[in-house]
Amino acid sequence: MKKNQSIIHFALIAGLMILSCNKEIQDSNLVAYVPANLDDKAGTWKPYILANSNEIIVPEPKPVSDPTYLKELDSIKNYLAPRVTPENKAAIYYWGAGAVYRWNEIARELAAKYNLPPASNAEGKYPAPDAANPLADPKFPFANPPYTARALAYMCVAQYDALITTWNYKYKFNRKAPYKNDPTIQPLLPGTDLPSYPSEAAVVAAASYTVLIAMFPGEVPYLDGKLAECKNASLWAAMNTPSDISAGDALGKAVAAKVMNRAKTDGMTAANNQALTAGMIEAAKGRGIINPWISQETPLRPPMLPNYGAVLTWNFDKSALNAMRPTIPYIVGSAQFEKDLNELRYIQKNQTREQARIANFWSDGVGTPTPPAHWHRIAADAGVDSKFSEVRMARTLALLGTTEMDAGIACWDTKFYYYTPRPQQFGLKTSIGLPNFPSYTSGHATFSSAAATVLGYLFPNQATEFIRLANEINESRIFGLIHYRIDCEMGFEHGIKIGNHAILRGKADGSGQ
Amino acid sequence: MMGMLVGLQYSSLAQMPNDAIYMKKNTICVMAAYGQSSWDEYWENTLKRENLNIGTNKTEMYMVMAAAGITDKLNLLVGLPYIRISNSAGNLLGQKGLQDFSATLKYKFFANNGITLHGALGGSTPMSNYIPDFLPMSIGLGSTTLTARFIANYKHSSGIYFTVHGGYTGRRNIKIDRDTYQAYERVYNTNEVAIPNTVDGGINLGYLKNGIQATLFLEKFDCIGGDAIRRNDMPFPTNNMVSNNIGAFLKYQPSHFGINGRIAYVTSGQNVGQSLSFMAGILYQFSIKGQSAGVTN
Repeated sequence: MKKNQSIIHFALIAGLMILSCNKEIQDSNLVAYVPANLDDKAGTWKPYILANSNEIIVPEPKPVSDPTYLKELDSIKNYLAPRVTPENKAAIYYWGAGAVYRWNEIARELAAKYNLPPASNAEGKYPAPDAANPLADPKFPFANPPYTARALAYMCVAQYDALITTWNYKYKFNRKAPYKNDPTIQPLLPGTDLPSYPSEAAVVAAASYTVLIAMFPGEVPYLDGKLAECKNASLWAAMNTPSDISAGDALGKAVAAKVMNRAKTDGMTAANNQALTAGMIEAAKGRGIINPWISQETPLRPPMLPNYGAVLTWNFDKSALNAMRPTIPYIVGSAQFEKDLNELRYIQKNQTREQARIANFWSDGVGTPTPPAHWHRIAADAGVDSKFSEVRMARTLALLGTTEMDAGIACWDTKFYYYTPRPQQFGLKTSIGLPNFPSYTSGHATFSSAAATVLGYLFPNQATEFIRLANEINESRIFGLIHYRIDCEMGFEHGIKIGNHAILRGKADGSGQ
Repeated sequence: MMGMLVGLQYSSLAQMPNDAIYMKKNTICVMAAYGQSSWDEYWENTLKRENLNIGTNKTEMYMVMAAAGITDKLNLLVGLPYIRISNSAGNLLGQKGLQDFSATLKYKFFANNGITLHGALGGSTPMSNYIPDFLPMSIGLGSTTLTARFIANYKHSSGIYFTVHGGYTGRRNIKIDRDTYQAYERVYNTNEVAIPNTVDGGINLGYLKNGIQATLFLEKFDCIGGDAIRRNDMPFPTNNMVSNNIGAFLKYQPSHFGINGRIAYVTSGQNVGQSLSFMAGILYQFSIKGQSAGVTN
C-alpha cells in the first residue's frame, strides 16, 4: 500500500510540473545598437524614384538657441521624461531595433495575415478580393508571393528614397540630438553623433505607413497605431524633438506619395487579367507545350496573377527580361521529362523525414509571409548583425526588395509563357500544398537565387551560406513533390541573372560598395 | 487529425481511463484493435463546410493496449497506436506512423453502496518524429501531455451503471519544422508552438454483468483557449478544437478471450471534422502468479 501511495505521489508531482510548465513563446530579443558606421555621405546616394535627395524640400529648422526649440528640450526633460511608463519603455526598446527593421517585420506579418486564397462560393466561383471592401470575405488583398514581393519592394524603396533625403538634410542642417544640445537629457536608447533633424524614425514610419495603407487597406487602424507609436518612441526616448518628428513625418509621406505614383501605373491592376489565359495557352502550345497547366483544385481555380509578368520591373527593362527568359523545359513524354517525373515518384514513395523537414521549412505557403518575405527577414537579420545604420539597412532591403519583385515578374512571365503542367497532373501528391499556377520555372528557385546573389554582394562574408540556403530551397520544392528538377535548376540560373542586375545598380548608387 | 482522434485514444479496451472498471491484482488484459474515423465536413471556426480538395478525410488506426492490475484498486493502462491518414480527393500526401505512447494509472479511492470514486493520472508522448502541423493529414499534434482525471460511478446490483468523468490535460509546447508561423492573429518567428491545454468530460450509462458490457455515452472535448481556423485556411495545432460526441460501446468477454466494439459521432464542434468513428478489438486476459483472471467494478 505504501508503494502504491508513493507511485501516486510521484505521478501527482510529475503532473503538476507539466501542467504548470511555461507556455510563453520567446521569439524576438533584439536590442538597440550603435551603428558600425553612420554613413554620413548617404545623402549623395542614388534614389530609385526621386531625381535626387534635394527633390523634396525640407524647411530649415529653427536654430538650437531659438526659444521654440529650447521649449521642446524643456518639455522632453521636465514633462515627458518623468512620465515615461513601462509600456512606453517597451515601445522604445521594440522600436530601438530600428524603424526600417520593424516596419519590414510589420509588413511581413501583414503578408502572412492576408496570404489566404479566396474560398469558392456556392456557384463554384472564386470571388475576387475587393480593394474597396478589404475586410469582406474574401479579404483584400490575397497577399500571395507576387503581391507581397511588390508590396515590400515599394515600401523598401519609399524608405530608402526618404532616408537618403533625410541624410541629405540631417548633415546639411546638422541639428544635434536633444541629448547633445542639453547634456542633462538622458536618452533611453544608445546615443550617436547622427544629426536629429529630420527624425529618421518618423521618416521611415510615415513612408512605410503611406505604402502599407495602400497595400493593406483593411489595416488602417492598426497601422495608425504603429505610426503613432514609432514616432512617439523616438520622442519618449529623447532621440528627437517634436519638430524633428513632424519634419520627418512630412518628408516620409511626401516621398512615399511619389513612390506610390509608380505603383499606380506599374501594370499591377492588369496582373489578374484572366481573359488573357486562353491566348497564353495557345501561344504555349505553339511553342511546343503538349499538356498545358490546368488547375488541380476543385472547383477549378483561375491561376494566380497570370499577367504579373507584364508588371514594370526595377533593375532591368523589358528587353532584358525577354533576353533572360529561360529556354523551353523538357516536353512531356521526353526521356528527360520522364527522368524528372520518376525522381518525384521515387521521393513520394520514399520521402525521408529530413526531406520532409526541408520541404516544410522552406514551404512558405498559405498563411506564411511568403518566400520573398522570408528573404527579407534573412536580409534584415543580417543587417542587424552587421550593425547597419538605418539608411544602409534601407539600401540593403531596397536592393533585395526590388530584386524579389523583379524575380517574381520574370518568373511569372516565364510561367505563363510556357504554361507547363504540375507533377500533380501526372498523379503526384504533395507534402506541402500545391500552388495554383504553372510549374516552370520554380518561383522559390527564382526568388531564392536572386536574393542569395544580391545578398552575397551585400554581405560578402556570408555569400557561400546564402547560396547554400538557395540550393536547399531548390531541393525543397522537389522534396515537396511540386516541382520537377528542371523547374528548379532553370529558375535558379534565372535568379542569378536577375540578382546580377541589382548588383549593377548597387555598385553604381554612390554608396561605395 | 482535427480533434477526432482524441476520443479514440483509449477507446474500447477492457477498461478505459474514464471508466470505473479494474483488472484484478496480477491480471493483465491486452487488446489489438483496428479503428477508422472519417469526415467530409468540418467546422472552419464555427462555419460548417465541405472541402472538395479533401473529399473524405479518413484516419485508420491499429492499436495495441494493455491494462494491468497492480492491485484490485490500482491499474496501469498503456497504449500505442499506429495511424494512417488519407484524403479521397485533392493532392495532399497521406501521412502514417507510430503516434503517441500513453500510460495511465487509475486508482479507486472510495467505495460504498455501489458508489465508487476514482482518480487517474496519465501521460502521452510521441513515439515517432511525425509532422504535427500538416493538418488535417498529421497523425498527431506532437505534444507530450499529462492528464488528471476524476471518475464517479454508481453500479446497481442489476448490472446497470452510471459514470461521470472529467479530465484536464496539459499539453507541452511543440516544435515544428518551420521557424515562422501565424497563430493567435500574429506571426511568431520561432519553431516553438504553444498549443492549448484541454478539458474533457462525459457521462456513460450502461450495463455490465456476466462478461457483457453495453454502454451509451456522451462526451465533450474542449480546448482552454486556442485560435480559430481562419477563413479558407488550413487547421493548425493552436486551434481551439471543440467536439461533442455521442457513442456506444459493447464488449463481450466470457473467458480469457473477448471482443469489443465502439462507435462515436461528433454531433457538433469547432475547428474539427464531423467524424464518424468505429473501432473493433480482440481481447486476451490472463493472470500472473496463479490468480484467477477477472475484472472488478
